[in-house]
Amino acid sequence: MAGSLKPDVAAETDEALVSLAKGGSTDAFEELVHRHRDKIYARAMIMMRNEVDAMDLSQEAWVKAWQRIHQFQGESSFATWATRIVINLCLDQIRRQKRTRAESIEQMEEETGGVERHMPVVEANPTEGLETEDVRKRIDEALGKLSEAHRTVIVLHEFEGLEYKEVAKRVGISIGTVMSRLFYARRRLASLLQNLRRERSE
Amino acid sequence: MNEKEWTLDLQAYVDGELEPSRRADVERVLAGDAEARELVAALRSLGDLVRAHEPVARVPETREFYWSQIQRRIDQEALRDARRADGATRAAGWLRWLVPALGVAAVVVVVSLNRRGSTPVVEVASASLDDAVGMTFRSDTDGVTVHWLR
Repeated sequence: MAGSLKPDVAAETDEALVSLAKGGSTDAFEELVHRHRDKIYARAMIMMRNEVDAMDLSQEAWVKAWQRIHQFQGESSFATWATRIVINLCLDQIRRQKRTRAESIEQMEEETGGVERHMPVVEANPTEGLETEDVRKRIDEALGKLSEAHRTVIVLHEFEGLEYKEVAKRVGISIGTVMSRLFYARRRLASLLQNLRRERSE
Repeated sequence: MNEKEWTLDLQAYVDGELEPSRRADVERVLAGDAEARELVAALRSLGDLVRAHEPVARVPETREFYWSQIQRRIDQEALRDARRADGATRAAGWLRWLVPALGVAAVVVVVSLNRRGSTPVVEVASASLDDAVGMTFRSDTDGVTVHWLR
């Protein structure tokens, strides 16, 4: 593409950029990457919990997005579509790594039943000195303490907004297991967030 | 329904995953179950909190460097695809000649084997004449016919 004909991509909407990228414009695609790279990277970070994997998988997701840009029909936003790509790559990577070492106790607990109804109520009250960034950081830390299996269902359900059946399909487990994992993950998360809050007030 | 199923039903209720009929049942039970109402409140508050404070992270690279790495991967993939396509084209070219050649070779082998393995069709005919006996040997494959007269 000649330099003089290069469109001013920074001013375009995502939809227009996608259109240009489908026509082969790497400038348009680079603008899309620039706009959404933090979101994609953050999602990979939440899932993988390390910068090296997050960087590698986020870049891989962008390569896949470029290769499959013709498949994007606009059913969702471009950011959502790209996020799904990175999520799938993370799930594949997790499956490959088979990181089940630290999950045995929690999985055993799931399998043997014993769901306690008690769950601490966690609320973020800004008047108590909990700033948004502070809460965000605490939630991230708490997510980091969950097992991979539990964190995955939380990310897919809470952040990606996927229904139980969609989570089950993507992770390759039954809907019953999704429900069970989600409950344990939430209970542990509530407990961790309550402790963090208590530590702060002490 | 046991405790676990009921608890997971409450969670499904909060997540909007219950069918309308089941939802009405849960709401009826909730009205008289303070503990269940507490759990529902806890699940709702946790969900609201987590969704409103989704962790963020920033790519620890400049725009240019990050993109240059992606572009390099895209170029590498394109090159790999091109090589793969080139390999496939060459293979197709070879196959265009190889398939008929193999076909001809197969026909030759089959014919040859048939010839080697075929047993001649032997027809023995004998005729008793007054004072002579005749015998005929014929092989269709070799196109040979031999007559003996004794």
